[in-house]
Amino acid sequence: MLGFLTARQAGLDDPLRLRRAESTRRVLSLSLNPDRDVDRIHGNGINTIDIDVIEGRYMLSGGADGVIVVYDLENYSGKPQYTCKAVCTVGRSSKYVHKFSVETVQWYPYDTGMFVSSSFDKTMKVWDTETLKPAEVFEFEGNVYSHHLSPIARKHSLIAVGTKNPKIQLCDLKSGSKIHVLQGHRAEVLSVRWSPRYEHILATASADSKVKVWDVRRASGSLLTLDQHSGDKSKASSEAVNTAHNGRVNGLCFTGDGLYLLTTGTDDRMRLWNSATGENTLVNYGKVCNESRKRLQFTVSRGCSPEFVFVPCGSSIAVYALHTGELVTMLRGHYSNVDCCEFHPDYQEMYSGGKDCNILAWVPVLRSLEVEEKSDSENTAVADAGQSSGNPAFQDAWSSDED
Amino acid sequence: MMELAQRHRLSQLVEELTTSGQPQLNQDKMKEIKKICKISNNCIDHMYHLVMAQLGQEHSEIRLSAFQIASELFSRSHYFRTLLVDNFKGFLELTIETDSDQPLPPPKEVARKLRSLAIATMQSWQASYGTAYKKLALGYHFLKQVKKVDFHDTEARTVAERRREDERQRKLERIYRERVEAASRDMEESHQEIEATLTQMESCMRLLSPEFDLTDMQTMHNSTLDDEQPCCSKDLKSDRQEGGQPDVEKSGTGEKRRRLEDEREEEKRRLEAKDGEETEKEFDKGQGNKGEEEKESCDEEGPYEEDLFIRNSGLISHAYNLDLNFTPGIHLKETEDNEAVVSTLIDLYRMITTKHLPVVQGWIQVFTKARAEQQLLRKALDLKRSLEAAQQKHNELHIDYKARVRRVVKASSDLEDNDDDNDFDEVPEKEGYEPNIPEHLRVEYGLDLSPSTSAATVTRKPPAKVAVPLPQSSSFASVGHLKQLTEEEQDPTCAAATFRLLRQNLPQPADSSSDTGPSSAQKSANAPVVPFGLDLYYWGQEQPNAGKIIKAASQHQFWVPCEVEEEVENEQLLAESRSRYISFPGIFIPVSHYCKAPLGDGRLCHRQDRLKCPFHGPIIPRDQEGLPCRQEDRVIEERREKRRREEQPDWRDTALMRDIEVTTGQNLGSDRVAKKGKGKKKFPNLSDLKQRANTPRSRLQRKVFNQSTVRRVAQVMSKADQKKHDKFSNQFNYALN
Repeated sequence: MLGFLTARQAGLDDPLRLRRAESTRRVLSLSLNPDRDVDRIHGNGINTIDIDVIEGRYMLSGGADGVIVVYDLENYSGKPQYTCKAVCTVGRSSKYVHKFSVETVQWYPYDTGMFVSSSFDKTMKVWDTETLKPAEVFEFEGNVYSHHLSPIARKHSLIAVGTKNPKIQLCDLKSGSKIHVLQGHRAEVLSVRWSPRYEHILATASADSKVKVWDVRRASGSLLTLDQHSGDKSKASSEAVNTAHNGRVNGLCFTGDGLYLLTTGTDDRMRLWNSATGENTLVNYGKVCNESRKRLQFTVSRGCSPEFVFVPCGSSIAVYALHTGELVTMLRGHYSNVDCCEFHPDYQEMYSGGKDCNILAWVPVLRSLEVEEKSDSENTAVADAGQSSGNPAFQDAWSSDED
Repeated sequence: MMELAQRHRLSQLVEELTTSGQPQLNQDKMKEIKKICKISNNCIDHMYHLVMAQLGQEHSEIRLSAFQIASELFSRSHYFRTLLVDNFKGFLELTIETDSDQPLPPPKEVARKLRSLAIATMQSWQASYGTAYKKLALGYHFLKQVKKVDFHDTEARTVAERRREDERQRKLERIYRERVEAASRDMEESHQEIEATLTQMESCMRLLSPEFDLTDMQTMHNSTLDDEQPCCSKDLKSDRQEGGQPDVEKSGTGEKRRRLEDEREEEKRRLEAKDGEETEKEFDKGQGNKGEEEKESCDEEGPYEEDLFIRNSGLISHAYNLDLNFTPGIHLKETEDNEAVVSTLIDLYRMITTKHLPVVQGWIQVFTKARAEQQLLRKALDLKRSLEAAQQKHNELHIDYKARVRRVVKASSDLEDNDDDNDFDEVPEKEGYEPNIPEHLRVEYGLDLSPSTSAATVTRKPPAKVAVPLPQSSSFASVGHLKQLTEEEQDPTCAAATFRLLRQNLPQPADSSSDTGPSSAQKSANAPVVPFGLDLYYWGQEQPNAGKIIKAASQHQFWVPCEVEEEVENEQLLAESRSRYISFPGIFIPVSHYCKAPLGDGRLCHRQDRLKCPFHGPIIPRDQEGLPCRQEDRVIEERREKRRREEQPDWRDTALMRDIEVTTGQNLGSDRVAKKGKGKKKFPNLSDLKQRANTPRSRLQRKVFNQSTVRRVAQVMSKADQKKHDKFSNQFNYALN
């Protein structure tokens, strides 16, 4: 750290380098921290969370009972101990609340005054954050699995919506209508994602085990279909042609720069694709447990020198190195299946929500605490040594009569 | 090196502790574990893995012990806490059953104990360490909010269980309340009745008891004799009661007198009544065909001759030993005087035993179960006590039932028909005429001597012969029997009466049938009765078109092949219309022999199988000791016995042998024998899970789903399939597979 600092002071290093090194270090030290808590508002499983990109201060969460909560993540108290307060809630008592499970929530990328939520009650609602009333309601024929607004779009304000219907709907916020349909999938569309690099590029994942990449300006069909065998016909059986997975594809995530696309499927695999060519990079992540029948929300770190993937894996969250596929660590803390996780790029924090109604904040462990812990563990050898300055709960309590 | 020894010792200790099967840990061993763990974190690490491994065992006793070790260490070592909290989800799954897909293993009661203990421990951990260990707090909240575990509930049940339990309790309560209400209402209603019954009984007994004092000793004595006769002379007794009881002699003459009176009044009926053996015998004598009938009458006369002997000699029998057992107490003989009282008493007694007592018992049950008010219960108990007392009193009176039954029947003929209703249940209930009473039931119905077809008897009876009233000289048997018959006929509830009535009403067929003689009568008696059919319908007629089939060769309107035989004779059909199949399965002969193979306890096998005993093989003639009579059988038996002994030497009882070895210090080879049987259990202290599974169902399952059985069944099935395939191979659905 000091070496990086002096190199930075001397101007030897690229400013990014220090930043990357430090954020990487912080990501690697992510753990559950007793100092950070998130209010327990949800009485049911949490399906989706989203952190706003402008300030990085507000977090949205959508629960399986239709409740949507907005949290304030910023700690202005000056103390390390902080509980993220719920700012406002669309509870069961609200008359605008979603009838069934909320599947996706997303802030409007340019303003926290608006957010969009979609639900299994076959609607997608555009909310006004101030009044907590829907400004617009889109209705569909089937359950809405996923929707996404392009984070960089300047020329359009389209929401891509994946529903039970294999056709992908494009809804325009400007006109408040469904303006376009993308056809090509043969089963329900579980996940849709806009590219963070090109505003017209959209990736969709479906239960027919295919992942298609579209240019929304082109109406005729998809740009490319990801193929796990990269067009090598000899490896693919006849029905596995042009499939990304050997099961339902339920997770989709671009890397921060939009150059790569990650997909997860119920075949317990995660694959990394080159988003420009649609080529399988053949990174082996090993087995990534995935039994979800719905969308799986996973995330990729930003600003680290090797990037990391955070993907829910049963009741824990697996952290992989993006390009090597190496399993860095498993974050255990949930007591039931994890459904979603979201990375906070500014503070290198990670938030995850699961079926056990908890939203857990994974916060980098400060180095000072680590030192203290080390000294604490050294103390363990000494029986009944009360001189440690740490929490008395961390001390050993061997009674002397056992000698 | 040191480390390795400690590790080894730790593994050993954990193994011992967890497989002890005890609900509490051995404190000495636990202390040793703690002492070792104190040395270094490595030991704790090893310990943690050991405990987790034991927690994963599919046995709740192991898990309970492992959990206790874990909780001991948890409160002591921070390192152990961090390790455990790190994998807290798995820990909860194994101890509190948070994952419904992984239920706690059997035995059930230990699993319940483990669960409640784990929940209580969780509570205390949360209180002392919750703030420091985030995951512990999270786990606690998870249990509390998602799994809805109530930490204050001692039973540590889930919400659903609790609700179900409450529901059940409420339902039970409601049902009980209703029952109590119904029972108390019933009690209110029938309380009066029971009281009345009791009072009546009381007064009846008071009426009877002084009478007992007045009755002469002789009657008493006689009745005692009657009662105490050994059972083998029962028939003797019953016959004597009818005919020649010295005490009842007077009543016997009375009967005779009555019969004479009756004769006058209803002569015709009497004629009919003299059916059965009397007429039969006369008839047979006339025909000179005595044979069986004679034997029969001899059989019946036997006891009466004996009776005569008794009468003459004053002894009861030549050979019988008489055990007289004079029980102290009252023996009440019923006489004409106290008859009404006794019958009322018996009615009351029956009422109490069959009606009141069960009802009262039911109330008591309901009240105790529902924990009703003491008052109700006390009332019911009082009732029961008084009822039982009355019953007891009645039993002490020792009233002679059988004599009374006969008397009442007689009484009914003595114009006391209205009292008949008292004894309805004594007589088999029959209404109307039953044309075909089976042979073996005839005696029971009082028709013992009439042959199979009643019409034949009626027609055969020459009226002139029967018109003669029975002389005194005729055998006692016939008198007694006839008397019985007539008595029964007087009784309108008896089948004999119905029978007689029918016979009266039936038109007398022409005398021609009587000419056919005994041979035809017997033939008709032996001839089978067959249901009516076509062959009977056309009996003796020539059927014009029997066995002919009209063939319609062509369905076409006008195209007809030139030589068409319209009708075809079918021999088989023709024969069918004239004949009939009567299957004759033979007559059932009950098995009279016993297996008689010697049993282990010195008795002989009492099974009565026709050919083969399921335990002792084919049934062979055996002597008194159960040894086979024939030489070759004996040889086979011995060989079998020898083989059995070789397989399992009976003196080589392993337990016994071990005992002997322990006392004598010599090796008799019990271990060798034992090895042949069952291997020693690995952990003798743990409760055996497999033994618990030894239910009839599991045993059947073992048999039915046995590999070889399944294979055999599959083979048979496929063979059957194959057959079908051979037969119908030209049909498409069989040809396919």
